[in-house]
Amino acid sequence: MTSHYLVIFLAGLAGSMHCVGMCGGFACVLGSDRRGRLATLGRHLIYNLGRVTSYCFLGAIVGYLGLLLVGHGGEDTWASLMQRSLAVLSGMLMLYVGLQFLGLMRRPALQLPGVESLADALRQLTKSPAAGAPLALGVLNGLLPCPLVYAFVAHAAGSGGPLPGLLVMAAFGLGTFPAMLMMGGVGLWVRARSGLASVGPLNTHAASAPAGRHLFRAGWRQQGVRIAGALIVLLGVITFARGVLPMSAHLHGMGMGL
Amino acid sequence: MTTETLCSHCQLPIGRLSHRREVNGSDHWFCCYGCCLAYQVHHGSGEEPEAAALLIRLGVGGFLAMNIMLFSLLLYGDAFPGADAISGGDAWLSAAVPWVLWGLATSLLVVLGGPFLRGAWASALDGRLTADSLVSLGTLAAYLYSAWQVLQGSSHVYFDTVTMVLVLFTLGRYLEAQGRVRAVRSLAPMLAAERAEVRVINEGGESIRTVDQVRPGDMLRICAGERIAVDGQVVEGWSECDESILTGQPEPQPKAPGDPVHAGSLNGNGQLSVRASVRGDQTRWIRISRLVREALGRKPRVGDALDRAASYFLPFVLVLAVATVWFWASRGNFDQALLAGLSVLVVACPCALGLAAPLASAMGIGQAAQRGVLIRGAGVLEKLGRLKGIAFDKTGTLTRGEFRPVSVTVDGADEAGVLRYAQALASGSAHPVARAVASRAARSGFQAWSAQGLRVHPGGGVTGRIEGIPCAIGSRAFMAQLGWPVPPKLIPNAAQDGCSLVYVGWLGRVRGRIDLTDSPRMESRQVISALIARGLQVQLLSGDRPGPVGALAADLGISGWHAGLTPETKAAIIGGWARRLGPVAMVGDGLNDGLVLAAAPLGIAVGSGTDLAKESADVILPDDGLAALPWVLELAGQVHRSIQINVFWAFGYNAGALALAAAGLLQPVLAAALMAGSSLLVLVRTLNAQVDPAVVPTPPKPLAAARAALLPNTKKAAA
Repeated sequence: MTSHYLVIFLAGLAGSMHCVGMCGGFACVLGSDRRGRLATLGRHLIYNLGRVTSYCFLGAIVGYLGLLLVGHGGEDTWASLMQRSLAVLSGMLMLYVGLQFLGLMRRPALQLPGVESLADALRQLTKSPAAGAPLALGVLNGLLPCPLVYAFVAHAAGSGGPLPGLLVMAAFGLGTFPAMLMMGGVGLWVRARSGLASVGPLNTHAASAPAGRHLFRAGWRQQGVRIAGALIVLLGVITFARGVLPMSAHLHGMGMGL
Repeated sequence: MTTETLCSHCQLPIGRLSHRREVNGSDHWFCCYGCCLAYQVHHGSGEEPEAAALLIRLGVGGFLAMNIMLFSLLLYGDAFPGADAISGGDAWLSAAVPWVLWGLATSLLVVLGGPFLRGAWASALDGRLTADSLVSLGTLAAYLYSAWQVLQGSSHVYFDTVTMVLVLFTLGRYLEAQGRVRAVRSLAPMLAAERAEVRVINEGGESIRTVDQVRPGDMLRICAGERIAVDGQVVEGWSECDESILTGQPEPQPKAPGDPVHAGSLNGNGQLSVRASVRGDQTRWIRISRLVREALGRKPRVGDALDRAASYFLPFVLVLAVATVWFWASRGNFDQALLAGLSVLVVACPCALGLAAPLASAMGIGQAAQRGVLIRGAGVLEKLGRLKGIAFDKTGTLTRGEFRPVSVTVDGADEAGVLRYAQALASGSAHPVARAVASRAARSGFQAWSAQGLRVHPGGGVTGRIEGIPCAIGSRAFMAQLGWPVPPKLIPNAAQDGCSLVYVGWLGRVRGRIDLTDSPRMESRQVISALIARGLQVQLLSGDRPGPVGALAADLGISGWHAGLTPETKAAIIGGWARRLGPVAMVGDGLNDGLVLAAAPLGIAVGSGTDLAKESADVILPDDGLAALPWVLELAGQVHRSIQINVFWAFGYNAGALALAAAGLLQPVLAAALMAGSSLLVLVRTLNAQVDPAVVPTPPKPLAAARAALLPNTKKAAA
């Protein structure tokens, strides 16, 4: 069971190469705190705490919904059927996202509404000096649509309860922690070197984002995204198999640790 | 794969996962929605501090709320006793969870509940019950009940219900605040009026001062085309001043030495020396500006549908709670009775509404914005939906604010001859009437004559010679000045009362009269009849003379009209009308309308109007957007109905929950599910209910340009 969460953690770690591009921008904009390095670290930890909390919440709620749908398991046919359908469904969703990450599948170009007002709202948060702003930014950041998150939410839905769901998302979130923390740190380091530290926490994205991108070269990140895609496909196949293979095989599969 | 497109934000190859969007006028490609969003966060502008503060509150509250929900879900899911993932899975864990929840809920009550509790307290001091009271009562009851349960060692807690109510209502408040942010009235033009700079003439020459330093008796120079910043008297020079924004009269007023000039009017082509008659900060314009600001400041927060519903619902809930306690107490167990009573209060709060009503309004406002119509806030939309009467300004609102010749009357000459003389003479003047005459004559299509020795007589007319024949064009007074008699046939009767009249003559005699009028906009008639068909009362309020106003009213089928009004009397009429009728709106465009737009329960500005009118209005129609008015009203009516139906559903849903609570059957998980279910139901209803109303024969087209002009901070819409 532990190795199961380890795989998810690794997928998060690899997948965060995707996050570096997108969410890393948020982390960089958060910037430094005037009160020193510890305060800056705190700022970024709080931001990431907010982000991971959102993931955990999503995991727990879909885990609970999955539990409601399936019931507490048992061997009667109805529960078993529901459980299998759920596993097939979430496995397929994971495969869908994983194949996209591998670049083997085309993603539909969805035009989601509300980008402008949401962007306005988040911009206010990145610019606000208030203590709660990093937390709020993290919470909202965690709820932004992201295919990586969808994949693991799908996995959490089939995990059998609020706690396993929560743990799935927590493992994934912790996997994204190092890269995101580093993004904040790297941004600051580059800024200090180029003498821009005095600019303060505002308007720093221009200086820091290319720096972060330099470190996390597009080539590496592309590899990371591919690895994440492969891991998601692996997890997806296992989840899917739980739905279609006979019950005995399923139990053996679990016994193997996944 | 030589030149791969990169995501504009994260610089990863987008591959085949394309997501194209136009940002700041140029095309960008994104690999996902998140990148697209993040890119816009970094590359946009726009400050909204008020909404930002609420958003931070919401985010921090959301963090606490998600933790509460998370632990509650674990409780409901019975995760702790048998969970194999947590080593031990001991009983102490499940015993600790309620305490953790209590701690989180206490913080949440402070962070998110604070504003509601303060609001409820303030309204309670006024003796009113509002939605705040409902929220406060529900959350406090649930909180206290749950805290008691924790102390008893039970896990029967309603902290997640507290959470949902507070988060949903705060989210609703945030949506409202975002709407209000757009409604922040910068009042820049009016502040500019007080800080305008003027040229003061003194012994040594000229000096520039701000207008508030001007004292009575100061001499000021006013250049051509400048906005006049003082009230005073012309000492030297001649010009024509556009006073339409003060008086509503479209004709420029001639200003010769001795004539009064008014601050706010626009100087014409001449240069004037003016002696100030009042202090620079006491001009009528600045007094009007102050009145506008005060009127805006006084405008009460619109009591929305939810507040009104709450004020009926709350007493009922309180009675039910007391009855529940009494009933169960009479059966013995007082503790249980108190708990049942509290649980009645817990489910009383229809939290779906806290979000549904602002969402419906926000969507309506968004729909309007897509059509170039700016609506300032949810309250405005709600009032529009209940509108009973609507008053219009005349010049520039229902009319074009420019002259068109309507008829030519002749005596002893033919029409073409009169027009030819008129054209030749009028080409010497830039007066709007002269321009209108010249363009009318040009349409007749004859070869233009050219006049020699043209002389413009300011404020009167033009004289000149055409092939040696002395001729003149101008007002009746000007003809009298020349000593040229006006034949009886050309003397105007009552039918010409609404027109500006220009006389044309040659060889010592007046031979023709051109009647010009400020014609109504094409869409005015249609709009007025559509409004009357909606059952609205319509009035025409104008500062112009009774003749033109009455003529226009009769033409458009408006029964009630008032002429010769000042902004103050207009505001008084609107105020009296609103007291008799209910919600009424004023539609206008000029500065003279600024005060009345601000003072009216609802001010509607036509987009082509002055900045002041736009600043003080609640609704801004796009340029030439009068035709959009019936559509806007239909939209508002739809939002209003949608909210009403949602109120009904949400309260109905809660009534069911109340019955369970009163019977003592309510479980925490059931309360949470009911709350989430009703929220979902109402949200889905709201999202589905709002279709584009298509009642107007010619609905206004999406006006990208108008929208950009109205919402300078809004970035270009997606392609």
